[in-house]
Amino acid sequence: MMDGDVQIKLQSFVDGELPEGEARAMANLMAQDREAAALVAELKYTRQALSGHEKGVRLPESREFFWSKIQREIERTAPVAPVPRPVSWLVRVRRILTPVAAVAAVAIAGFIATRPASAGSGVETSLSDPGAFTYRDFASGTTLVWLSYPAEDTLADGE
Amino acid sequence: MMAAMRTQLKPGGWMVWVVAFCCLFTAPVLLADTAGMKLEAQLLWGTNDATSPNPKHKPVDEDIRKKLKELPLKWTNYFEETRKSLDVTEAAAKRVTLSDRCDIEVKVLGGSKIEVTHFGKGEKVVKQTQNLPKGEMLVLGGNAPNSTAWLVILKRVE
Repeated sequence: MMDGDVQIKLQSFVDGELPEGEARAMANLMAQDREAAALVAELKYTRQALSGHEKGVRLPESREFFWSKIQREIERTAPVAPVPRPVSWLVRVRRILTPVAAVAAVAIAGFIATRPASAGSGVETSLSDPGAFTYRDFASGTTLVWLSYPAEDTLADGE
Repeated sequence: MMAAMRTQLKPGGWMVWVVAFCCLFTAPVLLADTAGMKLEAQLLWGTNDATSPNPKHKPVDEDIRKKLKELPLKWTNYFEETRKSLDVTEAAAKRVTLSDRCDIEVKVLGGSKIEVTHFGKGEKVVKQTQNLPKGEMLVLGGNAPNSTAWLVILKRVE
């Protein structure tokens, strides 16, 4: 079985692409090896068969001009990247205000939820004095609990 | 378009900002709730006389006098018998003696809510639970001989 590299070299030999030294070596190989000679004969036959049916095409213009036309066509049909539209100041302000407003709303809700209850609410009185009453003055923020508790007899006298 | 997309906040970024702002706004409130409070307790004598027979008595502070004037009390003059300061925390109740017959015990329940217990001659007379924000005042009072009155003022200082 012939080596793959040798096969490629024989193909290059048939195409006349080998340097002189290697071409001579391939010629010697063909003389000594029947398989190599048969492969070369096959390649030459195939080449001859194909070249006989190959249609010669000639470009009406130069090679550079031909490819430049293709390049222009590719560029023409390529999708154009959209140009970013200028963003108006209104949109910019809205972009800032929207999150700020959301945050402010959450903060206010949190503040209301966590702040201490306003004055006057949550007043509970536990009295052992049935004659007592509670009065709340919202304007001054004062709560009065009046008791019928026995008087401090000597308070004014300095006790 | 790409530039516009870059300027928009990602959903995760939104959440970070929201949490940060919430912490910023609510932290002082929460911290204030956990702190204690400074109170001032006064025992007053209310009378219609211009002066007190007790030379140790002092006329009541002007801010308290104004607030008492707003209450449905019939006395025109109030004199300070005792004044005590209290630093109260949630950790423990604090009891102060304003006279040998009058004690109050104050307990912070959380936030600005307090529980005040008044003792007369060692006996529990009343227990009052309410919010007491800074600047507000709780007044406990009763009648005294000769158409006078005794009052215990509890004022939040801080």
